[in-house]
Amino acid sequence: MSDDASGDRGAGSAGSDADFGPYEAVYAHPEGDATVGRQVKTAAEYGFEGVLVRTGGAEYDPGTLADRYGVDVVRGVEIDAEDPQGASGAVGTHRSECTVVLVRGGTDALNRFAVEQDRVDVLARPFDGEGDVNHVLVKAAVDHDVRIEFDLGAVLRDDGGTRVRRLRKLRKLRELVDYFDAPYVVSATAASHLRLRAPRDLAAVGEQIGFGADAVREGLAEWGRLAARNRERLSESFISPGVQRGRDDE
Amino acid sequence: MKHLPKHLQPRWRYLAVSIETWPDAGIGRRAFQRELWYAGQNLLGDPGSADADLRLMRFEVAGGSGGAIVRVRRGEVDAARAAIACVDEVNGHPVGLRTAGVSGSVDACSESYLGDPAPSSTQREVAFDGADRPARRRDGAVDVDAQTGWVGATVHDTE
Repeated sequence: MSDDASGDRGAGSAGSDADFGPYEAVYAHPEGDATVGRQVKTAAEYGFEGVLVRTGGAEYDPGTLADRYGVDVVRGVEIDAEDPQGASGAVGTHRSECTVVLVRGGTDALNRFAVEQDRVDVLARPFDGEGDVNHVLVKAAVDHDVRIEFDLGAVLRDDGGTRVRRLRKLRKLRELVDYFDAPYVVSATAASHLRLRAPRDLAAVGEQIGFGADAVREGLAEWGRLAARNRERLSESFISPGVQRGRDDE
Repeated sequence: MKHLPKHLQPRWRYLAVSIETWPDAGIGRRAFQRELWYAGQNLLGDPGSADADLRLMRFEVAGGSGGAIVRVRRGEVDAARAAIACVDEVNGHPVGLRTAGVSGSVDACSESYLGDPAPSSTQREVAFDGADRPARRRDGAVDVDAQTGWVGATVHDTE
């Protein structure tokens, strides 16, 4: 909404190649078990520099929270649709009012839809359910500038066979992302403040699963970079990449 | 058995872990240690978890928050940090864990990173989602006992 752009921290550095600190993308009440305020409070204590809220239905004011806890707060929405048709409609509805638009994958059709849409920023949780990725999807993601999410949730919270299967898919995705130099984000997909993990702890987990601590940090920072880019695009002076409305002095 | 001469004794690092959970969650020292070892074994494997050690030296949780000190073999701090991050539930209660710092001794660790235990939580009724619900407040955080289960909030959400 309009208040998003006004009270943002970090917006001053938007547009430049400023390095971003770790951001986390969280669920909040009513979708999760913690309010946006509690998620932001905890994330700030854990050392994150920003929080992206995936729950479109949550009530909060990003500017107020950013000022109160000293971290950036980004309004996002994660679209959870049955099929591409439903998702397409929802993307159109939310694109103009949310800084970052994610589409929750989980089926091959939804994964494919998300990476082929310029209007979508992130394909979230591609491995939920039966979903998987391949070289076609990753190439499409590069072409359409869609980030694919490495969901560490299953690594942190599952065990046994489920975790092994998820690790296998994460590894496959990592190899594809490396090969095609595709954009990606990393998240613990926390539904409450108790599921959050500190950036340094996530980096340590990344190191253990062969992902590399630096790759995790990079994926956490990408949320911030993405938010800054979209804010610039949503601002009034933006026309298209590289073209901005100047001042008409004379 | 006669203990090792000093220069042959393993060198330890001590990890301060801050713990958060729902106010009514009963989390005991034994259960936490079990989950810690379990997480270590699952993530690091038997040899890795044997190297990391992950022995619980101090543990205190009351009213939904607390801290622990975990002993780790020097050089295995990052592996231990990852294993601790993978502890998700204790006795079925979700726990939020963060490795707050690393020290060379238990006392330095608890002094530098754990500090005083959080002030005990106070019970009160708060307005949340248009209804008065019982809640517990601690240090700016409010855990609301909503119909569907606990919801984490802050004092600003319930005013």
